[in-house]
Formats: sequence, structure tokens, C-alpha cells
Amino acid sequence: MSTQAPRIVSDLACGFCGLGCDDLEVAVMFREVRPRRACPEAARLLRRGPGQPAAPRVGGREVPLVEAASAAAAHLKASRAAAFSGLGADVAGLRGLADLAVSFGASLDHAASEGLFRNLDTLQRVGWVACTLAELRNRCDVLVVVGADPTGLYSRFFERAVPAPRTDGTGPLFLPQGRTIVFLGHGPEAATRNLLAGQDVREVPVPDGLLAEALAALGAFVAGRSLADLGGAFAGALGEALQEVAGLLKAARYGVLTWNAATLQSGEAGLVVGRAADIVATLNATTRAAVFPLGGRDNGLGAHQVMLWRFGYPLRTLVGGGEARHAPGLYATAAALKDADLLLHTSAFRPDPPPAFDRGPVIALAHPETEFAREPEVFIPVGTPGVDHGGQVFRMDGVVCLPLEGLRDAGLASVAQAAAAILQAGRAA
Amino acid sequence: MRVRVSGGRVFDPASGLVDVVRDVVIEDGRVVADDPTLPSHQVHDARGCVVMAGGIDLHSHIAGGKVNLARLLMTNDRAAFPEPFGDFCGCGGGQAAPTTHLTGCRYSQMGYTAVFEPAVVGANARHAHLEMADIPNIDTGGFLVLGNDDALLRLIAQGEGQGAVNDYVAWMLRATQCCAIKIVNPGGISAFKFNGRSLDLDEQGPFYGLTPRRILTTLQRAVTELGVPHPIHLHGCNLGIPGNIATTLATIGATDGFPLHLTHVQFHSYGTAGDRKFSSGAAELAAAVNANPHISVDVGQVVFGQTVTASADLMAQYRNHGIADPKKWIGMDIECDAACGVVPFAYRDKSFVNALQWAIGLELFLLIEDPWRVFLTTDHPNGAPFTSYPHLIRLLMDRDFRNAQLARLHKAARAHTNLESLTREYTLEEIAIVTRAAPARTLGLKDRGHLAPGAVGDVVLYEDGADREAMFSAPRLVLKDGREIVRNGEVVALVEGRTFAVKPDYDPLMDKRMDRWFDEAIGLKAKHFRIAEGEIRNGHGPSCVECAP
Repeated sequence: MSTQAPRIVSDLACGFCGLGCDDLEVAVMFREVRPRRACPEAARLLRRGPGQPAAPRVGGREVPLVEAASAAAAHLKASRAAAFSGLGADVAGLRGLADLAVSFGASLDHAASEGLFRNLDTLQRVGWVACTLAELRNRCDVLVVVGADPTGLYSRFFERAVPAPRTDGTGPLFLPQGRTIVFLGHGPEAATRNLLAGQDVREVPVPDGLLAEALAALGAFVAGRSLADLGGAFAGALGEALQEVAGLLKAARYGVLTWNAATLQSGEAGLVVGRAADIVATLNATTRAAVFPLGGRDNGLGAHQVMLWRFGYPLRTLVGGGEARHAPGLYATAAALKDADLLLHTSAFRPDPPPAFDRGPVIALAHPETEFAREPEVFIPVGTPGVDHGGQVFRMDGVVCLPLEGLRDAGLASVAQAAAAILQAGRAA
Repeated sequence: MRVRVSGGRVFDPASGLVDVVRDVVIEDGRVVADDPTLPSHQVHDARGCVVMAGGIDLHSHIAGGKVNLARLLMTNDRAAFPEPFGDFCGCGGGQAAPTTHLTGCRYSQMGYTAVFEPAVVGANARHAHLEMADIPNIDTGGFLVLGNDDALLRLIAQGEGQGAVNDYVAWMLRATQCCAIKIVNPGGISAFKFNGRSLDLDEQGPFYGLTPRRILTTLQRAVTELGVPHPIHLHGCNLGIPGNIATTLATIGATDGFPLHLTHVQFHSYGTAGDRKFSSGAAELAAAVNANPHISVDVGQVVFGQTVTASADLMAQYRNHGIADPKKWIGMDIECDAACGVVPFAYRDKSFVNALQWAIGLELFLLIEDPWRVFLTTDHPNGAPFTSYPHLIRLLMDRDFRNAQLARLHKAARAHTNLESLTREYTLEEIAIVTRAAPARTLGLKDRGHLAPGAVGDVVLYEDGADREAMFSAPRLVLKDGREIVRNGEVVALVEGRTFAVKPDYDPLMDKRMDRWFDEAIGLKAKHFRIAEGEIRNGHGPSCVECAP
């Protein structure tokens, strides 16, 4: 058997960071998965050894799935204030978790929703004009990266979003003149600088804590005010640089502002997002522009979408008793756990342990390699979408939903199967 | 299992049966010829009831990204209309942009059993199908939006010929598991991405230099040659602009004899007469529809109240975003494919424009003579939520009621409509046509919209009553595939619906071309764009609507 060649699987879609790359390649041999073409993060999360993954446990004791599901259902039935955290699952898994919430009552929040809610503060209150990845790729002639270089979290962002024009006609559709990329905030990292070599890259360093101010000034310049109008607050190099960026955006045919709200400083994140959207709104009166917010790790955008179509509210909503109540302040995981008597944590994409919780039982529908600070009352190891089973995940733009492919059968239940088993056990009891 | 619906007045115009007292017998989910010698396992007493096939809505935005954006903006509406508590509650709600579960429940509660999402953007098709899979009690299908997609515009502009366009259209229909082609503002959505703010029928769009007329006729020919049953479903140029009746009439003139469906024509029937430069073009449009048997329309009736407008026509939505109510809106350019714009809006009977829009819709309903070519829609949620259908049916069937409503409108608007003089009242037969028989026929759904043997066992019993709004709000009984799902207007069971798709043939060379297009332009693999059969309706796969090339 050991002489058998591994199966090479190409053009895989990836559900980890939210960028939705779909040209990954792995070698699969029985339960073993070895990445061949993947960014470092995807490689780490795709890799699987040949061993048998963990089995379900109740109170630390290995049990069959049905028994673990029964134990979970019993805990859920006894609970009066359950919090569902993590929500790292494919769409089918999220639908299963939504069913559990309807049946037993629970608040729901995703592990990576902090950035999403910083964006929703603007999107829900006033709205914005956004674009998707292919529009950015083919149309954007001026890209302003607000805040930190996103490469650390989305390592292929620039490669995918702003490929350089090419002479053979296979490059961006509408950019014969190339494009300008402005880093407003922290400058590009070395790898980014290399990748973008040959493109017009500008840097406008903005000290931490002044980003919202800088965007206010940029907005003022875009709206036609001058340095003199601003009363000297932005006199100097930064003001001049911002005025130049404003000029670039106004002259652009399709300017795009991008940011990762999760990595903005919490004190100014809301303002940064609001002002970026404002700038785009001003630009659209005379030319075209859009925002492109980064985010969406572990199908966070999928969780957002499923919540909206099932309950009519975003995440951070309490469901149960025939009702749903949206209160971000109360039902963000950290807040919800202060009043919860049960935690159900789901993390199928990565071995992230549940948040600390000691007010009641913990049910973990988690990656089999999860290391727990304390043994959960119920642990159901679940397969990873795109490794152990197929599934669907949303890309960060919230529009494109990608199919993931199962690579191996290691006997792990999917989140959808685990949730269905719990639901069935709850009905049978 | 034989189910007998006994003694009702059957309105089945597709079968030529109008107001005939007879039994409808369903065996294993399908209507069969009545054989009184065979026992029935279940008998539903339909005496005193009007019996019709399940309702079919061919234009209602119920699923996909723009609907979710609408939900995001409409959480106050969501909170104001929670789903009723009970055994069949899904903890959802909303009226203007209801949740999926509630959408299926509310439609079936009115006797509808099939609803079509008329604007599936290819890039968002998987999402739309995932939502549809979560809608119980009704069958669904999607119309794929083409006509602003760069792949198509490039094909046409490069002079690739009709054959290549046909192959592309067939490839896209299969890839997205849709059942018809919709065009939204042909070329206009693309033009807006290049900062074009308007595009008339014979104006050349930016970059590709194509006129909307050229895009329209090319796609009309494609759909006809592929044999897709429903003709091009067109949201034309210049939506909402005073004077757009001229464009709409010119569009009818551009069809060259090819069948065409003009959608939400109310929004495309505006003149510029009068001191407010906004007037009804309904009479002109109705005359054109009456004179052109290859044209069908749905109305997109406005009903007063809060709603949200959601459209792929970002050019038009950008133009209107200033009148958003409440003041917020979302726009999005989508994936070299299309766009969307979501603008909350409240129609007010004291507003001149809104009142006239209301009247124009009704004028169209009453002036277009052939009910087989006009379908009952509010373009949910753009003209009004679909839950206003019973009210709309009463407006059509009851002239006194209509005139009483008219009397409450903005005075100047009343002076600008001849609605009061229109005496026509829709009959039950005509209601059965515009809400069942006609949409089924145009969509190629041979086993729907009628009650002849072979028809699917979707049967609705309405207790006959003078108040048509009450009558159509709460049917006594709704059967889906012969199974009782609604009784006295209340949901009593949830069943899984189907999703319809067409599978036209294409030259396999198009697979290679599309692989290259997606690799080079979109930055996504074509194989991931394509939706597998198993992704439809929780693994059940689509129900195929036959093409007749």
C-alpha cells in the first residue's frame, strides 16, 4: 500500500480567509492531505496527517456520535440562555445551527464578526456603494488601501485583486494605462512591495490614531475644499499628500477604497469606515467609485447571509420561542457569555478553542485537533469543509459563493450532520 | 393515495372549464381523470368554493444578494411584522423583505404554489439557490440576468455571431440552473460602471459601442433559437423617467416579431404631459400591447405603504437614491456581470407622482384586453410587498371599491387619470388567467396553471365572497402535490418545493472558452461558477423545463 501514489487534486476552492482563491492543489493519500499549491495559511489549515481523528466525547469519555448528540440535546433542553459562538461552518452547517437555535433558543455570533459589525454600523445606517473582486481586478484604476497592509491576513489579495496590466491581452479588461495603488496608513510590507513592483505605488504614512482624521481631510479635499479651508489642521506633508490622493480619486475612472475593519484601531474604526463610504458617495456624483471591505474569515459572510435570510437580522441575534431579537450589544459573544448558561461553539475550519466560559456546560462542534483549556461537556469533532466534505462558503464580497470539495473520508461528521443529530435527539427525547 | 376535491366551482380557463361544478381528483400528487368507481382516501368538501390551480407569480424578488441587502436595510419593517408564533414559526419576519421561511408560508397562505425570482445575477446564483432551498411550500425558479455581462457584450462587439451568443446563453443557463433570461436595462448597468448616467434604446454604450436595441434583439434571437419557453423578460431602458413611454413603445417596435415580455411596465409608462411634466402613458402602452400579440407584460402595480426597491439596475437606483425613505441605500457593481441597488421607499397616496403611479398600473390592467398577456405582479417588493395581492385583486374586480380608493388620492393625480371612467371589472376567470394559467403558459410549465389530468396536484379552494380581498387573503384550503398545506388561511404543513431550470444544448467548445474567460478576466474557475444539480433544493436537483428549439 505504501507504494501507491497520492491523488493530486487541483483547482480547489478555499474557505479559510474569505478571499476565495480557487486554484489550490493538494496531494491526498488515504487520510493524509498535503498541500502543494496554497498560501501559508491555507497550507497550514489544509494539512492532515494519516492518523485517525479524535472521536466524540462526553465528559472526556469517547462515545458514538448519537450519544454525544443526545448529551448535547439534553444540555440544550435544560438551558435557558444558550450562546452559540464561533459559527465557523459552511452554509449547510450554519443552516443546521440556525435550526438548533430555533428549536432550543440561543443567541448567535461568529468568531470573526467584530470587523463586520464595524462595517455594518455604516452599511446598515446609511449604506454605501461597493464592488466585488472581479470589478476591482478589471476596473479599478486607483486603489486606496486604508490602514494596514492586508497581506498578513489575506496573503494573495494584491495578486488576485490588482494584477498588473499585460501586453498579451489577458490582463485586466479595462485598464490599458495601468493603475495606482495608494497605501494610506501603514506602508506596504516588503512582499507586497515586490509583488506590486512595476505598478504605480504611493505611500501616505498616517500615524496610528490619526487615520479617521486623515480620512476626514481626504473627504474634504474630494468634496472640493482646499488646504486653506481646513484652517491649517492639515498643513504640511500629510495634508499635501492627502490632497494629491483626492486629486487621483477625482480623476480616476473607478476608484476603490479598501480596508480591514477588524484591524483598525477600535476607537476610530467606525469613523474610518463611515468616512471612506462618504468619500465614495461624493466621488460617485461625478465619476465612479466603490468600497471593497476586507473580512469574512471562516465563512463569516456566509453566517451573515444565512442569519439575514433565516431571521431577517444580522448576527448577534437571539433566536427562540418563535421570535428573534437583534441586539449587538447584548449578543456579541463576549457580552452574551456573561449571561449565558450554556456555550455551543462551532469551529470547523481551524482548531480554535471555545472562548473561556464557566457558567455552564460547553458543547464544542470543533476541529478534531482543537486543544481545550478545559474538557467540554460534549465534544463532537467535525470535518472541515473543503477537506472532509463538500460545502459552500461565501467570499468576502458577500456575492460569490464557492463550492468546496471533500478530499478524504476520515469518518468525521459535518457540522450540518452534527446539528441534525442533536436536533433529532432533542425531538426524540 | 386518491384525494377528491368535491363539488366546487372550478375555474380552469386553460382547460376551457369556467365556473363548472365538478370534482378534481388527485392521485399520488397529480390530477387524474375522475373515476367515480374508485374509492377516495380523502375527500375535501368544496361546495361554496371557487376552485383554481395553485397561483404562479412570475416576477417577485424573493431570494439572493439584493434581497438580503434589502433585509439588512429593513430591520424596522422586520421587527414590525414578526412571523406568527406557532408550530410552523421559523423565527423570521418582515413584510417588504420577508425571511425565506415566511416568504414560502405567506405565499402559500394566499394560494400561490410557484414563485419566480426574476433577477438572478450569475455571480450570485449559488446564493439565490441556497435561499430558494430554504423557502418552503412553493416551487421556485430563477431568471438569469444577462445583457450587461462583459462576456456577452464582448462576444457581440467582436462580431462573434449569433451561434456563439446562443452557446454562451445556453452555457450560462445551465451553469446557473435558471429557467429564463432576464435583461435589466440592456447595456445600461455596464454603462454606469463607465460613468454613463443614461442610455436610450438606440444610443451606443461606452467601451463596447453597443446599443440596447442590439443587445436586446441578439438575446431575443438566442432565446428563441434555443427554444427557451419564456421569451426575453425585459426590464427596459429608462425605468422611472418621465417620458419613458416613448422608449417603451420603441422597444416594442424593435422586437422584429420575436416574442418579448416587458416586465413591471407601470414603471415604463410615463409621459410628460401636464404642468408637472409627469403623466400616464398607460393608454398608449395598452394600445401597443393590444396591437402586438407577441408582447406580454406584467404590471408592477404600486400599492401605498412602506417598501424597499431592489433592482439590478444600479443606473436607475443611483438616479433615485436621493428619494430613499428612510434615507439610506446600498449599491453594488457585481463581478463583470451586473449590479444591484437597494433603495427603501414609501409610496404615499398624497404624493402626486405615487398616486399617479398607482393609477397607471390599474389603467394598464384594465386597458390591456387579453388577460393571457398581462400578469398580476407588484414587482415585489418594488411596487409593493406581494402580500398586497388580495387587495390588488379587489381593486381589479370591484369598481366601486376602486373608485372609493381613487377618491382618497392626491387631487391633481386624480385629474390626470381616466381610471374612474374605466368600467371593467376582472372576472374570476380573468383572475385565474392572470395569476395562474397565463404565467404557467409563458414559462413553459405544462403541468401547472391548470387542473386537467396530468397537472400537478396544486389546488386552491377559495370560499366565494363579495369581499374579494378577504376571499383571496385566506383560502379555505391549499393543496400542494395533493397534500394539505394551508387551511382557512393558516399553514398546517410545510413541504419542500422544487426549483425549475432549463437545459438548452450548446457546442462543448464553449466550455473551453468559458474556462479561459473565467481564468483570465474574472479570476475564478468556471467550474466553481457552475452550480451542480446536487446543490439545488437540498440535493434533490432541479425540475427540468423542456426547451423546444
